[in-house]
Amino acid sequence: MKGRKTDPVDSRTGSIQASPAVRSFDDLFLEHWSSIYRLLVHMLGDPAEAEDLALETFFRLYRHPPKTGDGYNPGGWLYRVATNLGLHSIRSFKRREQYEMAAGKDALGDMPENRPTEIFESKEDHRMARLALAKMNPRRAELLLMRYSGMPYKEIAKALDLSPSSIGPLLLRAEREFEKIYRNLVQEEP
Amino acid sequence: MSKHLNDGQLRAALDGELEEAGTQHMESCSLCKRRQYVIQSQMEQAARELAFLNSPAPTKGPAANTALNYFHQSNNNRKEIPMLKKLLPSPLLRVGLAIVLILAVVLSVPSTRALAGKFLNLFRVQQVVVVPVDLTGMQQLTGNSTLGKQVSELISSSVTTQQKPGRPVTVADTAKASQQAGFTVRVPQIMTPSRISVEGAGAFTIKVDLAKAQSLLNEAGRPDLVLPNSINGADVSVNIPASVSVAYGTCPDPAAQDTASGINSNGSAGRQYPDCVILAEIPTPSVSAPADLNIAQLAQIGLEFTGMTSEEAAAFTRTVDWTSTLVIPLPKNAATYQQVTVDGVTGTLIQRPADDAPQYVLLWVKNGIIYAISSLGTNSQQAVQMANSLP
Repeated sequence: MKGRKTDPVDSRTGSIQASPAVRSFDDLFLEHWSSIYRLLVHMLGDPAEAEDLALETFFRLYRHPPKTGDGYNPGGWLYRVATNLGLHSIRSFKRREQYEMAAGKDALGDMPENRPTEIFESKEDHRMARLALAKMNPRRAELLLMRYSGMPYKEIAKALDLSPSSIGPLLLRAEREFEKIYRNLVQEEP
Repeated sequence: MSKHLNDGQLRAALDGELEEAGTQHMESCSLCKRRQYVIQSQMEQAARELAFLNSPAPTKGPAANTALNYFHQSNNNRKEIPMLKKLLPSPLLRVGLAIVLILAVVLSVPSTRALAGKFLNLFRVQQVVVVPVDLTGMQQLTGNSTLGKQVSELISSSVTTQQKPGRPVTVADTAKASQQAGFTVRVPQIMTPSRISVEGAGAFTIKVDLAKAQSLLNEAGRPDLVLPNSINGADVSVNIPASVSVAYGTCPDPAAQDTASGINSNGSAGRQYPDCVILAEIPTPSVSAPADLNIAQLAQIGLEFTGMTSEEAAAFTRTVDWTSTLVIPLPKNAATYQQVTVDGVTGTLIQRPADDAPQYVLLWVKNGIIYAISSLGTNSQQAVQMANSLP
């Protein structure tokens, strides 16, 4: 048991024991769970996978928390871990996505002529955006995900350990890269 | 500031994140404004494509408190096997098998059918597998009024309701249903529903009394089946999200189905609702349970009780991926089933032939949502077409 931190959970009852360290973790969990889950649902488009990865994000916080002190920013740290896990998941799901897209096109082919296709197209756009994010430079993809999830520059800068004044230039570069990849993906589609 | 702004500063200005001096310069510099206009058009394109990242979540997901509770219980499991993907579903399946075992008993007891209906919504599943069962043991329980009463008592004493879902509420359209249920409801766009109803979320805990459950098995003539100690007093908490039911044609009132006098127990239902088709949708419920419930043992006991030999049960248990599968025990000779490809995934079509009221149900799981299309007719192809036409 050397070096192992105190188990916060009563193994018999599953209840959470009160200790300052555990309270801190629980508080962070309760504060950030919804936003991390929401970020991942949007990134992945799959609620079950999002929930798994959100739990994985907090598991990493639990086991390997960021160091306290100057620049301690567990919220930003969680966002970074979640975006990395989400991007990794999108990359590994590429094959499945291709299959799903083919299935979706088949379904579209079965539609009557007067059937609106807006919903399908909207999902297609989201899928394409996710693939573009997965193909991007990971650091820039992180930046885009944080910004377009609604984080202000100051928080992004803190999470990515950057100066707030550098966010504008980096964001512009990231958007240009995203657009280039997105357009290429659209053109590649038959 | 007299120096012109760089592109990055112009980009930051579009988000209102430019420092004071830069903002002042922008106000009086037409060149910077023109350059910013070009950048803005580029940015707006990306913004449109990424706007979904900041839209309301398509599903609410588990509440923070529920997730935290689940996290700590899952964390216990990680001590044994450090693979998240393998572990997270495990508690659910541990519960799942316990519930299948209970279900096998409950489903044949009319007074508890309404409760059983809630149990059926428990699983966080990715696929459905049907196992044919022999209900002789069950009939022994239901044919004996004393035993039947004991079963009812066991169920009622084991379950504590934290949140009642309430009666289904009829809503005007799918947009309102999506809003109330907290997830995007999918419906075939070429069909007009006759009623859309939303049933609220529910939550309950199960605590099984080992001695009582074992006593029931003994009295049902199966003392050879020994329940594991791990089931005794095990606390299982279940959170069922809100669900949506979309009816087509003339269908029974969903509020009336909460009682045992619903369509299943009415022999004339086939004639009463010949064109009724119901599409039900529910996000995967979340379940948490102690880590030491022996799922394989419970599964085997449940299967043996429903007619399999010990060897058959053991063999079947080994072939099923318990981490993602809901196993539905189906009485032999009472219904047929087959796997079908629907909505881009593999679903299960269960058909129950009957002279007066044939029934079918098509079940599948996609993107964390469990779907079911059921009807009292025989035209199951209609269900397959409906499923394939979902947007």
